[in-house]
Amino acid sequence: MSTKRIMKEYGECVADTPEGMKINFDENKITKWEVLLDGPDQSVYALPEVLSVSVRQGGHFKLEISFPPEYPFKPPVVSFKTKIYHPNVSNDDKGSMCLGLLRAEEWKPPNKVVAVLRLIQTLLIEPNPDDAIEPSIANDYKENYKEFEKTAKEWVKRYAK
Amino acid sequence: MALIVRPADTPSLAAQSIGIFTSDVPDPLAPTQDERRRPVTLGADISFQYPIQYNIQTLSSKDVEHGDDPFGLLFVPALQSDACKKAEAAFVPANATRIQNIPRNGDSYALIGFAPWFSPPCMLEYFQSVRKSDVKAVIVYQPGNSTDMPPIMNDASWGLGDGGTWKVDNDFPTYAIMAASGGIIMEELSLYSGNITDVPQSDDLLDIGLEPTDYVRLYATVATDSGTQLPSLWVFLVIVLGILILIILATSGFMHFIQRRRRNDLRRRVINGEVNLEALGVKRLTVPREFLEKLPLYTYSVLPAGSDHEKTVPQPPAQAHNLPSPTIEAETGVKTLPLTRRSSAPIATAPPTDTSPAFSQPTCPICLEDFESNETQVRELPCRHIFHPDCIDTFLISNSSLCPMCKESVLPGGYCPAKITNVMVRRERLIRRMQSRGTTHAASEPASSRSPSSLPRPLGSLGHRIGGAIAGRRVFSAPERRRSQPLDIEMGTSQAGTRSEPSAALPHHQAEASPAGSQIQDGAGCSEPTTQNRREWARERALALLGNNHIPTESDEEDRGPRWKRGIRKIFPGFR
Ligand SMILES: [Zn+2]
Ligand SMILES: [Zn+2]
Repeated sequence: MSTKRIMKEYGECVADTPEGMKINFDENKITKWEVLLDGPDQSVYALPEVLSVSVRQGGHFKLEISFPPEYPFKPPVVSFKTKIYHPNVSNDDKGSMCLGLLRAEEWKPPNKVVAVLRLIQTLLIEPNPDDAIEPSIANDYKENYKEFEKTAKEWVKRYAK
Repeated sequence: MALIVRPADTPSLAAQSIGIFTSDVPDPLAPTQDERRRPVTLGADISFQYPIQYNIQTLSSKDVEHGDDPFGLLFVPALQSDACKKAEAAFVPANATRIQNIPRNGDSYALIGFAPWFSPPCMLEYFQSVRKSDVKAVIVYQPGNSTDMPPIMNDASWGLGDGGTWKVDNDFPTYAIMAASGGIIMEELSLYSGNITDVPQSDDLLDIGLEPTDYVRLYATVATDSGTQLPSLWVFLVIVLGILILIILATSGFMHFIQRRRRNDLRRRVINGEVNLEALGVKRLTVPREFLEKLPLYTYSVLPAGSDHEKTVPQPPAQAHNLPSPTIEAETGVKTLPLTRRSSAPIATAPPTDTSPAFSQPTCPICLEDFESNETQVRELPCRHIFHPDCIDTFLISNSSLCPMCKESVLPGGYCPAKITNVMVRRERLIRRMQSRGTTHAASEPASSRSPSSLPRPLGSLGHRIGGAIAGRRVFSAPERRRSQPLDIEMGTSQAGTRSEPSAALPHHQAEASPAGSQIQDGAGCSEPTTQNRREWARERALALLGNNHIPTESDEEDRGPRWKRGIRKIFPGFR
């Protein structure tokens, strides 16, 4: 069942991909999606390049969304393959993001991947420091936003080209 | 708990002093004997008295009881071997008091043996001999003129070549006094062994009225430290330990009692329908198969507006628990659903003016497949949400007892899981405390996530009833693209949204576009928990922030945590 649903959801996602996102879908491995995401313009994760206005700016982040065998009863797992300085993304090789509907106890089968994608995008624009996985980054964000912005942008330049 | 540890040979009953006195013992066999006369101790002015206050070595305190200090008439035990008898002569005067010099009164006179410790084999013979006489104690001395403390108990000079078994074989204590005292007493024993006329100061004794047939003999009393000594450190420790264990047991018992009362209380409230464990976020319940089978199955059918298509019921649905069963119209054999059956619908689900069934969905929210009219079988939950039976059954059996769409419980009102655990009690209390604290949360709390049966169902269900009455039948109509997102989830979202901007900024059109209702509930707190504490923290935070939308996935914590903690929880239930 999960295969069928994932396929269906992929179809929906293709039809209605959130802006600035691209899904790389491998037919042979449908439980692992690779998502390419541009840092939203309003966020600190947009690359401050001075290119032509028509060209999308923004850091380029690679994400992986993997579906557990129990999907849709268990939530998909989101991990940032590109390092990102963000209170809600773990600063390790997993780069896991796990909050809101991504938490097992809050996930509900009717939820869809596209909602997950939107959640990710929203969180890039507005991190949620109150539910941080990285307390130190959250602290920066809350108490010392300038510093946070600076580091975040540096990381974008360094990792998210 | 009174546990007295007293090794056989501890010096705790050591002799503190020994007194030697002279006693007048009436001859029990004398013809003129007055039966009432008892042995009396004679005064120091007319007889021998010899107190020994120091330099007493207790060699064995065997068979000495507290408060039962040994005393008795002194005598020198007999030897067997000629060699010993011969050797004894150097230390024991020929006329020293022997057992035969003591008046026999059916063994009623207590005896104390008195012997010089001059050679191990002869000492063994002494002991052998006294064992036959039932003595209270034996007093020994190493012959000589020394006034020093006799050697300590473990000294080699007290060895009898038997590895100390003599102490065990003797059923009486043995005390050693200093050599000089021993010599003096032995000397006196030879003076006080014959007739009253032969003892020192015999005239004085007769003057005070002693009978000529009386025996005047020496006797000894041994004062041990039994009465005065404080309990030894051992006993003290044992007592303290005992008290401690008592306190622990009492506390444990009390906590068990309290916890049991709380469990029973929670069970009662669950059965009364005041509390729904899963809706409250206390425990993730699953639906037992027998309940599942009672949920109605229908064939999905699209009813074009104004059409007369009945929703057909291919197989009579099993009696829906706590719902009135559909009635069968006599002529058509078609089931019409009683109007009252929707009385358990959540308040928030339909405004009173809404006349169409609120929860008709064209798509299964789990597999996202569209239902096919007149073909697909659907299972309907009490909240009227419909799913493929295959999809929803898996979910309800293995994941949750709440509707995936609206979180209303599928289980009947008073359903109570077999086991109410302490963890459940604790969570429930925690949640209740939080709710009473955060009144704002309580106010905005979606009603349907409380126990469905305990709450009044005014407008919503009334509206349903009216709507149903107008429609006259229940249909699953293909809905206009309208938002079917249940209110409670919506509220959960906005509730979270008041706290964090992202969700407020979240585009809602997605949820509206998809009738399956993709709710976004973000800002609920992280995380991929790295540590136990973190998880606990996140859980409580989520509980606090989300009110009721949070449900623990974990199996009960009773079985988690380090072993010592689990042990302590067993002893002190309620311990965190
Ligand atoms: Zn389905
Ligand atoms: Zn529902």
